Amino acid sequence: MNTKTKTFLHLACAVILLLLPLVLSKFGLKLTTEIFIMSIFVLSLGLIIGYAGLVSLGHAAFFGIGVYTVALLGKYVSSSYVLILAAIVFAAVTALLTGMLFIRSSGAYFLMITLAFSQMLFVLAYKLKDITGGADGMPIRATLDLGFGAIDSVKELYYFMAIAFMISYALLYMFIKSPAGKAVVGVKENEHRMKALGYPTRSYKLLAYTISGGFAGFAGALYAYFNHFVSTNVLAWQFSGQVMVMCIVGGVSVLFGPPIGAALFIVLQSYVSSYTERWPIIMGIIFIAFVLSGRGGIAELLIWAWNKVFGNKAEDKPTVPPPSAEPEGPNPKGVASA
Amino acid sequence: MNLSILLFQILTGLAYGMLLFMMAAGLTIIFGLLNVVNLAHGALFMVGGYVAFAFTKEHVNFWLALVIAVMIMAIIGVLIERFLLGRMYGKELEQVLLTFGLIYIFTDTAKWIWGSTPRSIPIPEILDFSIPLGIVAFPAYRLFVVAVGILIAILLWYIETKTRVGAIVRAGVDDRHMLSALGINFKLVFASVFAFGAGMAGLSGVLGAPILGLYTGMDADVLLLSLVIVVIGGLKTWKGAFVSAILVGLVDTLGQVWFPQFSMVVIFVLMVIVLIIKPSGLFGKGVEA
Repeated sequence: MNTKTKTFLHLACAVILLLLPLVLSKFGLKLTTEIFIMSIFVLSLGLIIGYAGLVSLGHAAFFGIGVYTVALLGKYVSSSYVLILAAIVFAAVTALLTGMLFIRSSGAYFLMITLAFSQMLFVLAYKLKDITGGADGMPIRATLDLGFGAIDSVKELYYFMAIAFMISYALLYMFIKSPAGKAVVGVKENEHRMKALGYPTRSYKLLAYTISGGFAGFAGALYAYFNHFVSTNVLAWQFSGQVMVMCIVGGVSVLFGPPIGAALFIVLQSYVSSYTERWPIIMGIIFIAFVLSGRGGIAELLIWAWNKVFGNKAEDKPTVPPPSAEPEGPNPKGVASA
Repeated sequence: MNLSILLFQILTGLAYGMLLFMMAAGLTIIFGLLNVVNLAHGALFMVGGYVAFAFTKEHVNFWLALVIAVMIMAIIGVLIERFLLGRMYGKELEQVLLTFGLIYIFTDTAKWIWGSTPRSIPIPEILDFSIPLGIVAFPAYRLFVVAVGILIAILLWYIETKTRVGAIVRAGVDDRHMLSALGINFKLVFASVFAFGAGMAGLSGVLGAPILGLYTGMDADVLLLSLVIVVIGGLKTWKGAFVSAILVGLVDTLGQVWFPQFSMVVIFVLMVIVLIIKPSGLFGKGVEA
């Protein structure tokens, strides 16, 4: 797939997303708005899992920091610019500080440590009931206002979140295309070699982790404006796990994978739970069936199908290598443009 | 604080620590040999407790219920290993997705069958008394839990250092490929290890039920405590888990006396301190690059 096709596909998706409100019901709009917010969050996790090889099971910590920043600081400050910026900065700084401590370890150990850290914040928010509302939660009074009047109707929120998602996607796309982003991928592929080449490998991982934390905080801030309510659920490890599932289901080797996973997860959950109270069992069975099918994420399947239909010989690979085994530096469509 | 009350608290902490050790042992053994983070460990613990609850409610003897529950969990463990996990060794993301799916299935099934009202298993009659301890009395059941914990530690130590099975398992931790090259049926070893881990989860679930109760969301609490213990103790070493479980048990129990609002936070602070001083945990063999 050449650059022109890629640009075309990206723009086509953007146009479709901007036109969707014409056909969606109010419920569908709200659901899609939620998908946009979750997509930013999932993108941030996809960045560190897919590109830096850091499998975190505590990413809800940064999302939660974003939500609680808007919720708590919003009592004293009304400017949306200040609140969103504060959410991003707090989350990114927390990621930087904890990353310095955690990135010394990798693999399963990293997974456990990030999980434990996020749980620490969860317990803290749970115990500080007077400030955070604990598990019962608290309403968020801050309203979204960029200086052109309040953004609070369903459609306005939809467009705001859609644009926020597109900007986030574009920024992350630029990051992974930048020399620093390529170095991050290099560290994931072969840390020893990158070290030998003189790259400060840990700093590059830390950079990716910090950026990821910042975007997660951004998503959290948006969620605060969308949901107008926060409880400790946004810090719970089950939430981190769900986001990780979205990432894996969507596919982490390309940037457009995680948002697909988020969309599928949210639509499926809302669909199944409207039919049966036993939706967790069904979701669980779907996850396991997905793993057992063993074809990577949906993004990898789409790329494979695309190559089957439109691909020339050079791109026509019979099977898609698993994300971790991908020899190429991933480009956003995941295909080696021969 | 009165000395006998302090002793009471220390014993309570020790009993809790032993329970935590039994919880974490299954997780750390599975992780040590199979390199799998079994996120469904807490769910297995909970299901074990509920199965025993179902039997004791039908007036089955506590000890019989214990044996049945452990056996059922071990069999579930074999099934999971053979049919699901066996295909995804070395694939970290797939394992996460799989075990996360199992959590959904187990916890929701438990909720389906036993509802979301908190349950508990009564303490077996033979242990339902207290031992006087100065001005307070200490429940015998908790002392029994301490004894079982120590017994399991001794058993693990014996199997690991003195038996052929232990030698095979230790070899597997160090070099799995060499193990299969030596003609050892590693499939059987792997299935047994997972069954053992699941059985341990079931055992601790049943023994813990009279103390901790059984409730929705318990699986998450258990998993997190186990992970914290594994992180503090160091990966792939059940001895580390033993020491850190006792440490966490004592810190948590005494923490509840001194800082009641921040009991869980104290544990995590302990973890962070350990990680700053020794990133691979107390008994870890050094950080992976």
